[in-house]
Amino acid sequence: MRSIEVEKLAKKYVIGGVKELGYRTLRDSIAGLFRSSGERAQRETIWALRDISFTAEQGEVIGIIGRNGAGKSTLLKVLSRITEPTEGVARLYGRAGALLEVGTGFHPELTGRENIFLNGAILGMARAEIARKLDEIVAFAEVGQFIDTPVKRYSSGMYVRLAFGVAAHLETDILIVDEVLAVGDASFQRKCLAKIEDVGRHGRTVLFVSHNLSSVTRLCPRALLIEEGRVKRDGPSHEVVRFYLHSDLGTTAAREWPDSSRAPGDQITRLRAIRVLSEGEIAPKIDIRNRVQIEMEWEVLQSGHVLTPNLHFRSEDGSVVFVTQDLDPVWRGRSREAGRYRSFVEIPGNFLAEGTLIVSAAISTVDPSWVHLFENDAVAFEVLDTMAGDTVRGDYGGEWPGAVRPMLPWKNEVVER
Amino acid sequence: MTEHALDNPKPVIEIRPGGGWRALDLREVWEYRELLQILVWRDLKVRYRQTFLGVIWVVAQPLLTTLIFTLLFNRIGHITAGTNVPYSLFVMVALVPWTFFSGGVTASSNSLIGSAHLISKVYFPRFIVPTASVLAGIADLAVTLVLVIVMLLFAHVPLTPQLMLLPIGLLLCLAFALGVGLWMSALNVEYRDVKVIVPFLLQLWMYATPVVYPLSVIPQKFRWIAALNPMTGVIELFRASLLGDPVPWSGVAYAVVMTALVTISGAYYFRRMERLFADVL
Repeated sequence: MRSIEVEKLAKKYVIGGVKELGYRTLRDSIAGLFRSSGERAQRETIWALRDISFTAEQGEVIGIIGRNGAGKSTLLKVLSRITEPTEGVARLYGRAGALLEVGTGFHPELTGRENIFLNGAILGMARAEIARKLDEIVAFAEVGQFIDTPVKRYSSGMYVRLAFGVAAHLETDILIVDEVLAVGDASFQRKCLAKIEDVGRHGRTVLFVSHNLSSVTRLCPRALLIEEGRVKRDGPSHEVVRFYLHSDLGTTAAREWPDSSRAPGDQITRLRAIRVLSEGEIAPKIDIRNRVQIEMEWEVLQSGHVLTPNLHFRSEDGSVVFVTQDLDPVWRGRSREAGRYRSFVEIPGNFLAEGTLIVSAAISTVDPSWVHLFENDAVAFEVLDTMAGDTVRGDYGGEWPGAVRPMLPWKNEVVER
Repeated sequence: MTEHALDNPKPVIEIRPGGGWRALDLREVWEYRELLQILVWRDLKVRYRQTFLGVIWVVAQPLLTTLIFTLLFNRIGHITAGTNVPYSLFVMVALVPWTFFSGGVTASSNSLIGSAHLISKVYFPRFIVPTASVLAGIADLAVTLVLVIVMLLFAHVPLTPQLMLLPIGLLLCLAFALGVGLWMSALNVEYRDVKVIVPFLLQLWMYATPVVYPLSVIPQKFRWIAALNPMTGVIELFRASLLGDPVPWSGVAYAVVMTALVTISGAYYFRRMERLFADVL
């Protein structure tokens, strides 16, 4: 049975119009009456969604992937009726619920129990329904005796568990979920994922937006890749994920942001380029024996902050292989002047495993903890084993598991002859 | 965006570009009545939980305001009630609806911005947000009303059968506060300086309304201007029902018409601007 129909959905934002409308004042508007129409026409439009069409059958669990700014969030906002489309139509058959955030409307002064009712009502649950599930929610959230304590006294873990507990018990025919799993500790994340899988099994339709490619491939048999506001690819999720990782303009191994204002970052620092290099060249494919250099080019717009570039390496299934940060003694703990910087890190040869590595780049301040930018899936490269006999494989040609494949020194001694 | 049942047994939510002027979807608001209740309840709970002084404040505020106004306008300014009711009670009776109105308008005009995190994350009829802010003021209103009645009994001002008219005054005041609140909240999203203007506007408004003086001090030829202000009718009605003044039927009629105009146009304007809220906030 048909659950979701989306036909030619489009959403336009007017920059300097709608977006900045909020910062307009009556004074400006009145002044604007006296300005010529030419001056007022300086507006730029951005189509966050251009032509989105797809359908979903009841019980389908669909992952939605794409880079930051591709239009995923706008799509979810339109489908959850938070904002209206500019063109097109979408039909949702059945009750729909959206979780674009956990704990929406939570009030710190209210107790856990009170917040369950408040948050439940905001998500569209009837009071009787919440009352019926109260015990289950409390048990799921593992908050136990703190249920009548104001949530401002909760640890952040408890807070998130309670918030997700309510959300996870939202029983709608269609569930729209955005990134909410990026919270909590690993074991709780697993529990949440299990709960979402469970939801799918009960014949509900789930749309799941995530940056975590492994949870998409694991949870969702089907995925949509959104690029520049369009459905670029629609199919089995492992195929779509693979396509996504290799679809970059020409190469997956380098990305540049020529326009500083559109580059990832904040008012303090922006990422301008990231490249995967081998022997001085941009290298999407790398011989397992060779060193790999990752180069970040970034600019500091505001002097006086201690900034630490860091890189997050994930394998194709989404699991984190390792994280590394800049510990260059010259710059450690030292604040940066405004200007342009280049940071390198070198990964030794015969260390990475074969396969695709996806690199996310970030620049953070450690104290106080502040992430200035986090560019997910910024670059990707493939590590190839030449099978020449001088790699970790030696002469073995079969499957070689493991997240890394370091060349380690082995020694032998004769104990007895 | 309409919800209706086709041959499919389940409700169908159709999402398409809206726009233009739309009436308030009262059926949908009714479907979300539990959310309205819980938001009002949250406002009250938070307000009274945060401050022990909260409850005392509700009682002290009208008493202190009455005291100051009596000193200022009666003792120094020599304004009188025009009847034989003590000036302090005359003012206090007017402050009951006025405080509710100005509190409701202030709270609702900031309500959408205060709930930006909800509006940008969840769908529900946005109308609920300013409505909840206005309704939350009813608790304070009830307390001040009881206080006034106690003071009246204490001062041996007899209650008359006209007390039966009080609910009309209350409803009128509520509806008008909601109407102005809808206008201000929607304007406040679009124009952020509305927030600055509202308190000033309310202050001027109070002096343009017969709160600290009787309507009779306004020359006859300017009365029609005062009648355009529904709060004039509301306050006159409060005085009639609590102090036994003659019932200002024509004033009430004007107030009803003006309130209907403001509230209905407010609802339309709010609905027109509503679809931009999530994009702007």
